[in-house]
Amino acid sequence: MHRKRLVLWPYLLILPALLTILAVVFVPVLKALLMSFQSYDLRRPHRIRYTGLENYGEAFSDPLFWQALMKTAIWVAAGVGMQFIFGFMLALLLNRRFPGRGIVRSLSLIPWVTPGVLIGLMWRWIYDGNYGVLNDLLLRLGLIHDKIPFLAQQSTAFPAVILTIIWQGIPFFALMLLAGLQGIPEELYDAADVDGANAVQKFFRITVPSLKNTIFVTTLLRIIWVANSVDVIFNLTEGGPAYSTQTLSVYVFNKGNTLNLGYASTMAILLALALATVAVPYLRILFRQQEAG
Amino acid sequence: MRYRKTFLFMMLLGIMATFTLGAQTRPVTITHWYWADNPNYSKVMQQIAAEFNATNGKGITVVAQEYPWDGGAYSETLFRAVMGGGGPDTSSFKLTSTPLFTANGLLVNLDPWLAKWPDRDKIDASLYNTMRKASGTNSVYVMPWNTQVLYVYYRPSMFRRMGVKVPTTYEEFLEACRKLTFDIDGDGKTDVYGFGMRGARGGHEPWGSFIQARGGTFEDFTTPQAIAGMQDFIDLYRKGYAPPTAPMDGFNEIIANFKSGKTAMTIHHIGSSIGMIDTFGTDVDAFPFPGGVGRWTSMGDTENVMLKGCKERDAAFEWLAYLATGKGQEMWCTATGNVPVSKDVQKLPFFQNNRFMKVSIEGAPYAGIFPILDTTTEWISTIWPNTVAAALTGKMTAAEAMRQLQKGLWGK
Repeated sequence: MHRKRLVLWPYLLILPALLTILAVVFVPVLKALLMSFQSYDLRRPHRIRYTGLENYGEAFSDPLFWQALMKTAIWVAAGVGMQFIFGFMLALLLNRRFPGRGIVRSLSLIPWVTPGVLIGLMWRWIYDGNYGVLNDLLLRLGLIHDKIPFLAQQSTAFPAVILTIIWQGIPFFALMLLAGLQGIPEELYDAADVDGANAVQKFFRITVPSLKNTIFVTTLLRIIWVANSVDVIFNLTEGGPAYSTQTLSVYVFNKGNTLNLGYASTMAILLALALATVAVPYLRILFRQQEAG
Repeated sequence: MRYRKTFLFMMLLGIMATFTLGAQTRPVTITHWYWADNPNYSKVMQQIAAEFNATNGKGITVVAQEYPWDGGAYSETLFRAVMGGGGPDTSSFKLTSTPLFTANGLLVNLDPWLAKWPDRDKIDASLYNTMRKASGTNSVYVMPWNTQVLYVYYRPSMFRRMGVKVPTTYEEFLEACRKLTFDIDGDGKTDVYGFGMRGARGGHEPWGSFIQARGGTFEDFTTPQAIAGMQDFIDLYRKGYAPPTAPMDGFNEIIANFKSGKTAMTIHHIGSSIGMIDTFGTDVDAFPFPGGVGRWTSMGDTENVMLKGCKERDAAFEWLAYLATGKGQEMWCTATGNVPVSKDVQKLPFFQNNRFMKVSIEGAPYAGIFPILDTTTEWISTIWPNTVAAALTGKMTAAEAMRQLQKGLWGK
């Protein structure tokens, strides 16, 4: 009897957390999955019914869906890629000793702690084609001869929103990689010095392998977050002009806002599947390397 | 014995009177949601609620709660709240949301109260008809509150400088857009654009005037006339008579551009007039959008509704009536400059002597609304801005864009 109670005890302890997760994660996911098989449009509540794979068929024949998917791939690849590169550079810089390092470390976090909505609004005015500070700066430097309506042209709107997300995400990588850098034993570098290794060799033979797990986890997290992020794009452009900045998550948000919840759920499920195809092999490689290591 | 009977009768009468009066003055609280375009309007709405609470004499307390307009997201916030079983008793409202709310049974039919309301005829019958049409039924679910007729703001000093007269025809208007695009400092770059075009969300309203001026209609965007109107709109941008930022310019941008002198004309309603006068004094005026083959301008509207969760419906109607024809109507329209729906309030000197109000009233006979369908909100929020942006930036021709707009609104 006593042994039985002991076996049950851990399950009882995790039960509140499990029930909470079920209520706030699994139930909505299940509901979204069910809605993806329904014509669930609150503008036409009397026509809500199960339609099987109709929404999926509609998505696959919707040019805007494919365009948004392509935009998402570019958004994630360019956004996360650049965040990683610049974040790594910042981490290496902040890992060195120099006067005022504490202040620089604190200041570098500002973009990361600023809410996405605020970032969107702030950059909207920075990019403004009439009064924006970026245009003013470029004109003063003589790099342009006339103001550029960055967010009003399809050719510049998407690079502009990508630049904004890069700016936002650099501190996250810098912070995580800095923590990783500080965990690398100094002895490794000392030994490499004794062996006559140069800076590049030390970087690729010691620093990068030591940070491998951190790089894998942070990159994966950022891929998921950036792919799902709506706030920055929505507040900058709402997905325009002419859908040129509409990623899949923004398309889902726009459809959801117009209350076509069935179609929005379908695209959300497809986005989740697309992310899973990236995340699962990624995690597999990570775990395999950990086991091997 | 007789005294005793009289005493008992008097007591009974007293008890009945107490209950009757008690029923009339039983404290009732009505929660009202609204949006305000600036802090002053917030203050005014709170003053209206306080005034109503102090003077209604029926124990009704209105708690006015402000929610952001957020480019129209207010309606979605309200919808979600009421669908979820919450939300207010009454709320400010836009007519375009009516099909969504009535289809889901979220609005209270106001007919029973309107039938016995003594002030009913103080509001023009045509407004009730518009409300009925919006719901797709023969009932009124939406209480008129105020309207805003779009017109053209212009800078008289710029007109004088460029020798332009106030346009009276559509062709003259297009010509004025061209002439009022000029270079001030002689550096070869445009400093002032003739027309402050709104290409972002909400821009469909001024755009509608171009379509109808060429003889097009909103029932079929693919007619040659409607396409010609679209071509005019595109040409204004492509030929440089509107700021390069126009495809993404919304309300804030067109107002900022006009106030900073970047544009010589822009289209908005009387709600902006107080800010315009603050900025320019007498160097700002307005004219109704001129007619061509056809003539149309957008009638913006703000109404109030009673939501299905409202328990104290008589009290809620008292409040809606106060806003429509009572002191609340006068206070709100005086502060905001919106066109009152109450005929009595329209006659007040403030409204008779206001130059922008005069232009609004001048435009009222040909002011109208877009077709209210279950596709309208999506068409306004995403389809119109993205399609028009594609046309303005040369990704689509006028005819292609109009076909897409037709499909988005009418489904074919």
